Amino acid sequence: MITFDHISKNFPGVRALDNVSFSVERGEVHGLVGENGAGKSTLIKILSGIITDYEGRIFIDGQAVSFRSPHHAQSLGIATIFQELTMISELPVFENVFLGREPVLWGGIVDRNSMREKSQKVLRYLDSNVDPDTLVGRLSIANQQIVEICKALVLNAKVIVMDEPTSSLTEHEIERLFSLIQRLKDAEITVIYVSHKLEEIFRICDTITVLRDGKCIGSVKRETSHPGEIIRMMVGRSMNERFPPRERKQGEKLLEVRGLSRKGELEDVSFSLYRGEIVGFAGLIGAGRTELARALCGATCPHTGEIQVGQKIFCGFSHPREALQAGISYLPEDRKGEGLVSCLTVRENLVLAILREISSHLWLNNRAESKIVDRFVKNLQIKIYHPDQVVETLSGGNQQKVVISKLLATQSEIFIFDEPTRGVDVGAKYEIYKIMNDLTQEGKGLIFISSELPEILGISDRIYCMKGGRLVKEFYCEEATPESIMYVLTGGK
Amino acid sequence: MKNILTSQTKIIIALIVIDAVIMVFLTLLSPTFLTYGNIVSLLTRMSELGVLAVAVTLTFISGGFDLSIGAVMAFSGMIAGYSTLLGLPLFFSILFALLGGAVIGLANALLVVELRLQPFVVTLATMTMVRSIVYGFMRGKTITAFPDSLLSLGDKYVLGIPLLFIILVLCAILAFMLLKKTILGRYIFALGGNERTAFLSGVPVRTMKYFVYVLSGLLSALAGLLLVIRIRAAIPDAGLNAPLEVITAVVIGGTSIKGGKGSLLGSLLGVFAMFLLINGFSLLGLNPFWSVIILGTVLIVVVGQEGIMVPFIALLHRKVRS
Amino acid sequence: MRKQLRKVLCTFLPGGNEMNGKKTISWYLFNGVKFREFPILLYILIMVLFFSFTTPGFWAVRNFENLSRQIAVVGIVSTGMTLVVLTGGIDLSVGSILAFSISIGGRGIPLGRPMWIIYPVILLLGTLLGFINGVLITRIAVPALIITLGTMNIFRGITMVITRGIYITPIPPEYTLIGRGYLPFFFLLIVILLFMFVTLRTRLGRNIYAIGGGEQASLYSGVPVVKYKVVVYTLSGFLSAFSGLILVGRSGFIQPQAGVGYEMNAIAAVVIGGTSIFGGSGSVLGTFFGATLMGLILTGLTMQAVDPYWQGLVTGILVVLAISLDSLRQIRGRGQLISKR
Repeated sequence: MITFDHISKNFPGVRALDNVSFSVERGEVHGLVGENGAGKSTLIKILSGIITDYEGRIFIDGQAVSFRSPHHAQSLGIATIFQELTMISELPVFENVFLGREPVLWGGIVDRNSMREKSQKVLRYLDSNVDPDTLVGRLSIANQQIVEICKALVLNAKVIVMDEPTSSLTEHEIERLFSLIQRLKDAEITVIYVSHKLEEIFRICDTITVLRDGKCIGSVKRETSHPGEIIRMMVGRSMNERFPPRERKQGEKLLEVRGLSRKGELEDVSFSLYRGEIVGFAGLIGAGRTELARALCGATCPHTGEIQVGQKIFCGFSHPREALQAGISYLPEDRKGEGLVSCLTVRENLVLAILREISSHLWLNNRAESKIVDRFVKNLQIKIYHPDQVVETLSGGNQQKVVISKLLATQSEIFIFDEPTRGVDVGAKYEIYKIMNDLTQEGKGLIFISSELPEILGISDRIYCMKGGRLVKEFYCEEATPESIMYVLTGGK
Repeated sequence: MKNILTSQTKIIIALIVIDAVIMVFLTLLSPTFLTYGNIVSLLTRMSELGVLAVAVTLTFISGGFDLSIGAVMAFSGMIAGYSTLLGLPLFFSILFALLGGAVIGLANALLVVELRLQPFVVTLATMTMVRSIVYGFMRGKTITAFPDSLLSLGDKYVLGIPLLFIILVLCAILAFMLLKKTILGRYIFALGGNERTAFLSGVPVRTMKYFVYVLSGLLSALAGLLLVIRIRAAIPDAGLNAPLEVITAVVIGGTSIKGGKGSLLGSLLGVFAMFLLINGFSLLGLNPFWSVIILGTVLIVVVGQEGIMVPFIALLHRKVRS
Repeated sequence: MRKQLRKVLCTFLPGGNEMNGKKTISWYLFNGVKFREFPILLYILIMVLFFSFTTPGFWAVRNFENLSRQIAVVGIVSTGMTLVVLTGGIDLSVGSILAFSISIGGRGIPLGRPMWIIYPVILLLGTLLGFINGVLITRIAVPALIITLGTMNIFRGITMVITRGIYITPIPPEYTLIGRGYLPFFFLLIVILLFMFVTLRTRLGRNIYAIGGGEQASLYSGVPVVKYKVVVYTLSGFLSAFSGLILVGRSGFIQPQAGVGYEMNAIAAVVIGGTSIFGGSGSVLGTFFGATLMGLILTGLTMQAVDPYWQGLVTGILVVLAISLDSLRQIRGRGQLISKR
């Protein structure tokens, strides 16, 4: 059906795909797995016509194709459901469903009635009670996802690509999605299912292809494989080598959060953090983890509740500067959008948060600046050829190290790491874990937010589960298993 | 290091070469070009747009946008004129003129920061408003009643260099120090490069925006005064073309309209190149509107350089592959 | 209490109410009045009342004829601008396109070329310039503002160079036909109705909203974003040239400085009409009301013997008010953004 032939793609500083070759059979559910940054998203973007300049060839039914645009890919029967939904919130559901391929009567007049009827029909087929006339912006994330699926079905696609479709769904909704995929399969529609959740992959996929660091490691049949094999293929080494050894010790209390609430985001969040501890926060997308981090680092102000750092009690911070002064620093999940100033140099980025501390009045102190930069570049082994190199040109792992250095330079006591390993390769991940370990050895406290359960389980001492803006359960590392956490996150009590 | 420095220095070297080529060309075409008198008049005329270019460079680096600069020029000239007519001492007329510019800048900042409006629409609106105020008060007339103590500044020379140009150089040096040597400059670059990162890193984002817009208003008002001194009158049409001219010059000089990148030296060289062109056109006796056409084209070509080149290169690559 | 107040306030914000609910005839009759342009109608009513009490001669037939003609020229330009702004762009070159097409196209008039050649040539020139804008904007990854700031000056410069600043006058009487009586207003109504239909019912129109609501999402969904953006700027150019025809008819001469400052008036009409400057929401009908409101205020002031020099101030204030209200609504709708304290 679809054959990828030596697909390669370079981004500045990263080789996102490296000679990837595999084929997908007609009517099968093909799982595409790999860790974050393995190249799944890039591959999907190529398949859906968003990235058009790549090396290698793609065959559909034996014919070489090169997609010129998303429109072109869709007209060849490939529909993609992206992780970040592609909806226009100001338009009603039925217009979103037919966006880009509206049925026209004559002279470009859209046939609203047939659009409305057809989307109603498909929505009913999906057992959904969404009204086609509501504005998409008013729907819940799960319902928006259903509209996305609607979009793909209406297209009469031969191939539907789903990029992490379950990342924001509840258990019940996931069940419905799976039964839907089964029905698609019966209708001879090929599904490419992208995920890093193995249990899902093993439930519904017929064939599983593993990507790692932009390379295709191999394709296996589900019947002849088992999760352990896939994990080994994904990670490239066995589980116990993934995380540096960690010595657990708990010091005095560093941070206590009491009853933190923010309308629509957080509800009565209370927890504490001790010196030398890594506390993991698990949750689905939209569970409120990032919102909690933002409230703690001063990006937003909580409406009620208090934050106690050491002996000082704050009722929220009104500017990140205050949080920094209190000793809390935050590593944002969106490195490019919030962690770095891409067009500035390594040096300028690294000292951005401590400019006031290293300068006398308004004048910069270049010598002090260089000293700090050199120290961190050496300690964290950031690979650059000069501190005045622009950060844009660094690889993902090195960029992340620059951001981490920026935080370390503030000499905070409490660090909030939000998805620190996103988009970095396996080697760099290990180094980042090591940095986190070293920090706790020095007696700092770490809040660790991640969507990858193995990671959270691998290095946290305690794990809080978040759901709908609340903390629902606390686990000690020893008692936590992936299953028990997933159970809590997706619906159980 | 190589990357940013070469791209910046490349632009500056290119501009110096371009300036030199135009100068050689003009010298060959017209014997009057390379006379002391012509060069001095060129430098004098350049000073007010140069000061505006400094203002625009600062706002662009901070990721902002200010279209109201030209109108503020006329506004400050008008205030100085009326203050003089009211018999206020020179010091106060100058002070009020500068304050007037700062107030407009403050208004821009308020709208941009507090109401989170798009800078270009806001400054387009303030530009229209301020220009309308100037027209409404002056009714198309010019004010010439300035004291000689002010106007004589235009005839002063230091070491053979016109004083107005020296004021420009001073402004440029101060702005350069601000950008490169102080913490505020670092904040401005960070703010323009990525506002969210800057905010999360503890940069006082809002204060910096106020600072930049007020500074831009102040500098524009100063440019207005320089114009008054040069032409010995306050005119309602002062700085009518300034947004186009200055933005073009600044962009030619390698300052990014997206913020976070830019150089003052480049902007000034850009202004100089522009003036050479305009001077050349008038020496050649061409319609002055040719310069407007050329400026517009240069703006699009320079800003779009990357935009045009990238798809073009991609196309070439694709051709080569298949 | 505060909620009530907000509800009342919402009615007066353009776009405060959105259509929702079941659609019966009575729904259209009653709730249809609560459409987002309704508040502007109220403002128009208030202005009419105000001027009819304060300004003698406001109700004179001549005045209304004048008013209608003034609204017509700006209104047609603004309709094009609405389409552009709905996609999230902006077109500063409308006034220059207007001047270019009538000045260059009108050069055939003294040569005695017939009208059926002159008119299409003028319209074609405007369309062509709009097309150039569109191509540049979609080819070059630079804000439309910068591109059109450039083309605004290029088009104006070319006009001035070719015409050397000379007026074309007198022009034959058949050219003034289009500017007589209520004819300009009639044309405006046709344009408005046509583009209301285009934006609400055709594929092009719906996709214009989609592009403004989320360009990347539209692109991923297979909307031919580049094509439609070019179309939109081309339409804007065409409509500028068309309003140029009416301007010529109204004034009876062709001047190369025609249309200076029209971009501001058009943007004002668009944002006063409740179209978001960020794109994606708004309407052509709103722009019509916006243009009407502005025309009312400006003629009213002129009749009150306020110097026309002050019109820019009024326009500017209206624009700032309109975009501030829009922004406040956005802030309220989206919740707190990160940079908000």
